[in-house]
Amino acid sequence: MLVPLSYNLRSLFVRKSATLLTVLGVGAVVAIVSGTLALQQGFHHMFTTGGRDDVAVFLRPGATNEGDSQFSRDRGLKLIKSVPEIEIGPNGPLAGMEAYLALLLAPKRGGVTNVPLRGVQPVTFEIRAKEVRISEGRNFTPGHDELVVGARLVDRIENCRIGDVLTLNKTPFKVVGILDHDGQFGGEIWGDLDRLLAAMGRYGPNRVIAQLKPGIELGSPDPAKALFSDEPVEPDEGTVAARLLKDTEVPAKVCTESQYLSSQTVMLSGMLVFIGGGLGFIMGLAAIFTAMNTMLASVAARTREIGILLSIGYRPFPIFLSFLFEALVLGLIGGLVGCVLTLPFNGVSAGAMNFQTFTEMAFAFRVGPMVLLVAIGFSIALGLIGGALPAWRAARLRPTAALRRE
Amino acid sequence: MAQPLIRLKDVTKTYTRGGETLTVLNRLALDMEEGGYFALMGPSGSGKTTLLNLIGGLDRADHGLVAVAGEDLTVLEGAALSAWRARTVGFVFQGFNLIPVLTALENVELPLKLTGLSGKARREHALHALELVGLSDRAKHRPGQLSGGQEQRVAIARAVVSDPKLILADEPTGDLDRASAEQVLTLLDKLNTQMKKTILMVTHDPHAAQHARTIVHLDKGQLGRIEHNQPAAARA
Amino acid sequence: MPPIVLLWRNLWRRPLRSILTVMSLAVAVFLICGLRSIITTIRAAADNCDPRRLAVMSASGLFVELPLHYQARIDKVPGVEITTKFQWFGGYYRSQKNFFAQFAIDPETMFAMYPECKVEPDAIQRMATDRTACIIGSSLAREFGWKVGDTIPLVGALHPHPEDKAWEFKVAGLYHSDRPNFDNRTLFFRWDYFEETLKQGGVPPAVGVYSIRVAPGADVAQVIADVEDVFKDSEQRIDCTTEAEFQRQFQSMFGNMPLFLTWIGAGVLIAILVASVNTMLMAMREQTPDIGILKALGFTDGSMFVLFLLQSTFLALLGGGLGVFGALATAPFISAGLEMFAPGYAVQPGTVVLGAVVALAIGPIAGILPAMRARSLTCIAAFRGE
Repeated sequence: MLVPLSYNLRSLFVRKSATLLTVLGVGAVVAIVSGTLALQQGFHHMFTTGGRDDVAVFLRPGATNEGDSQFSRDRGLKLIKSVPEIEIGPNGPLAGMEAYLALLLAPKRGGVTNVPLRGVQPVTFEIRAKEVRISEGRNFTPGHDELVVGARLVDRIENCRIGDVLTLNKTPFKVVGILDHDGQFGGEIWGDLDRLLAAMGRYGPNRVIAQLKPGIELGSPDPAKALFSDEPVEPDEGTVAARLLKDTEVPAKVCTESQYLSSQTVMLSGMLVFIGGGLGFIMGLAAIFTAMNTMLASVAARTREIGILLSIGYRPFPIFLSFLFEALVLGLIGGLVGCVLTLPFNGVSAGAMNFQTFTEMAFAFRVGPMVLLVAIGFSIALGLIGGALPAWRAARLRPTAALRRE
Repeated sequence: MAQPLIRLKDVTKTYTRGGETLTVLNRLALDMEEGGYFALMGPSGSGKTTLLNLIGGLDRADHGLVAVAGEDLTVLEGAALSAWRARTVGFVFQGFNLIPVLTALENVELPLKLTGLSGKARREHALHALELVGLSDRAKHRPGQLSGGQEQRVAIARAVVSDPKLILADEPTGDLDRASAEQVLTLLDKLNTQMKKTILMVTHDPHAAQHARTIVHLDKGQLGRIEHNQPAAARA
Repeated sequence: MPPIVLLWRNLWRRPLRSILTVMSLAVAVFLICGLRSIITTIRAAADNCDPRRLAVMSASGLFVELPLHYQARIDKVPGVEITTKFQWFGGYYRSQKNFFAQFAIDPETMFAMYPECKVEPDAIQRMATDRTACIIGSSLAREFGWKVGDTIPLVGALHPHPEDKAWEFKVAGLYHSDRPNFDNRTLFFRWDYFEETLKQGGVPPAVGVYSIRVAPGADVAQVIADVEDVFKDSEQRIDCTTEAEFQRQFQSMFGNMPLFLTWIGAGVLIAILVASVNTMLMAMREQTPDIGILKALGFTDGSMFVLFLLQSTFLALLGGGLGVFGALATAPFISAGLEMFAPGYAVQPGTVVLGAVVALAIGPIAGILPAMRARSLTCIAAFRGE
């Protein structure tokens, strides 16, 4: 026969201050862990939304990211012409060259930061018509010294509002619009490819992007996997990727945009998961200790009651279950408190350095279902682990001993 | 007749419970002389324990005079009251009330920590007190390792160790079997006759009360009859 | 004064609870010390820089390079004692996961300018005679098992080799620095090898950062102003700062991460404070009869207050001490793990003090509520178990 659940629920209510303090303690721990996870999720979300499977990214062989890569303008054009898999649009192939630079700017928190600066050609807006939009002001005019600034930068970096002037080396550029993109572009500054290259004294673009014809498979190995392998990862023979890599004219490393973005997130994402996991483990220990203390005190205070339950015929196992249930409820309420503490962070934007390109990425905390689920699961685990020993102690009591004790 | 050790005049004590005012002691007047052995008897709720607590300075009368050993307890407060208690009164309770984490010897030694005695002198006094109650061999035991009777004897040792004038005992035999109770009562007799301690014992056990020389009956917060008694110890 | 013996004895009244409380306090203080150590380690890099060293980089940021001929012009500025140049190589060994920094340098001026980078004389000799020579940090050598004479192939991700193969560097020796501003996980190789190889492929080499040492007696601020003045109309705008400022700027690029670490620390503190208050309240509830007895025996209200304050301080100091000790004991392991992000991780004396202060503060704060209850509790209420 099971012990009525209301017995345990009422006990939590009767021991108000202990319950409240334990719930707060567990809540703080859950908030720390889910906050870190929300950061990682925000980061991951930023990099993976907008990552398209029908867009190919061409880098110079050997380059690990667009900052490393380099094509001269001629070679870039030659490359575009040599790939029949590229979709043709009304104005020619849907392929453009991009320069990836960084601009040293002053964030409002103080210090300096490298904000990504992307030089693009008009065709980029054809390829990204559905993802990128100008939410305020207007787009830059090709051939002019104008810029559009990512929406996430506006409130975080000085001089990033419409009408402001940003100086690239020695050339002043006017901010004419705000660029909105859920993915990484929302944290970048965009301008005309040729104007940017000229102003920054660079001789060529960094990468080529192109929209692929429907159904094209590149067959490139996942660059994220290559990051962790001991040996260089080569594409399989016969694939588009293998053909382009061995091209005699303009060899290039190609992968889909989704693949490219996941290769860029893997390191920081892994680091955040590692930090979150480490904190979760260490603080989880502390929280388990707290929950265990509360439950031990609860069992000790109710020794007599347990004795009565045992003597009127309840079996030890249901008593074990009932105390475990009590601990679980304790953990669960703590988890809910933790979630409530984390929720206000949803959407708050933050900046962190991308160790692969040494540029700052602006992204927002993302308290999604995944974070909440992990938080709740974590708090349940805390309650169960913290409650197991006290519940076992309660179940092991002998009725006579339990009744005799004061 | 000597100056009374305890003088109660017009003592009134009320409690409020659940919005209802309960008069526990009602204009009580009583003198108890030094060196006496008193038993306070009466049915539950007659105010025996309340009276004991007032005399021990654990509780305060609403009204009236409670003078014990020359001090007016209705005006004594805080640290002065604590110091007075340490000097004047030794308590023995029904539930033994030893500190569970301390050994018998350490429990007995506790009141001496409030005196200026050196550690060595404290231990000697405490051992002496344990000897008096016949438990020298249990000095290193914790309360949990002692029987109820032994625990109560340790409590008695603790009550006398600082040499107070007055021993207050609240149902000292209430939780004990007859043999242990008899040992405890014999000890109290000894404190009264040999060490000249004034003893005030609350009890509802007529047999225990027979050890006192004066039996005071309380009923509904008022003084009942007072019996003078040829105590068992004196008879023996 | 309360009976001091009770402090220790009450600790063992519920051994499991005491151990759990001490452990959770230890964990929290350990974490706070660890988080602070990461921040101080990062800061130490800037704080330990030689104030007479300056860095010159492009005003547009680290991505933009400076022309080679700037060096001669910097050298001419009055008050400049030595100039040396660095270029980020951006290669990797076999796989991208084996990340470490590599720089092309002028050995002679670099070694002269960075005395904290200690190199054996033999290694300097070998470096001078072999064009492909490199010196590597002691941690790096340990990590990959490299020793003098080994050849290290690096894929030039940023600077591809003109023959489309890996660059090869021969280990001339190891360097070691015990200053936090100079890490032990970098590979330095000769500028002339870098420059000549790039030229084979028709790529003009450029410089990432010029480093300057100001001559003794010269005014640092004046030299900075003069250097900036020289290039004010040149093709690349430059930014000249002290090396400490340069390091700080680089660290500010970590973004909001240090702030998050601080938040996490604050969260940990709150969690542990709440847990400690909880434990102390439990202890106080359990010791309620004792309070009654002690008060009846003549112990004052004030001494009961002190007793509970001391008990909680005692617990907190035990836990905090254990946490600080843990932080100190694990420092070498954490240091090895964080070599890449926070080289030279160390627990500063200030952090030990912080841990001690946290422990000292948590005790009384957690104990004050139970202590106040113990003070105001009457004997009668205590016996009734209220």
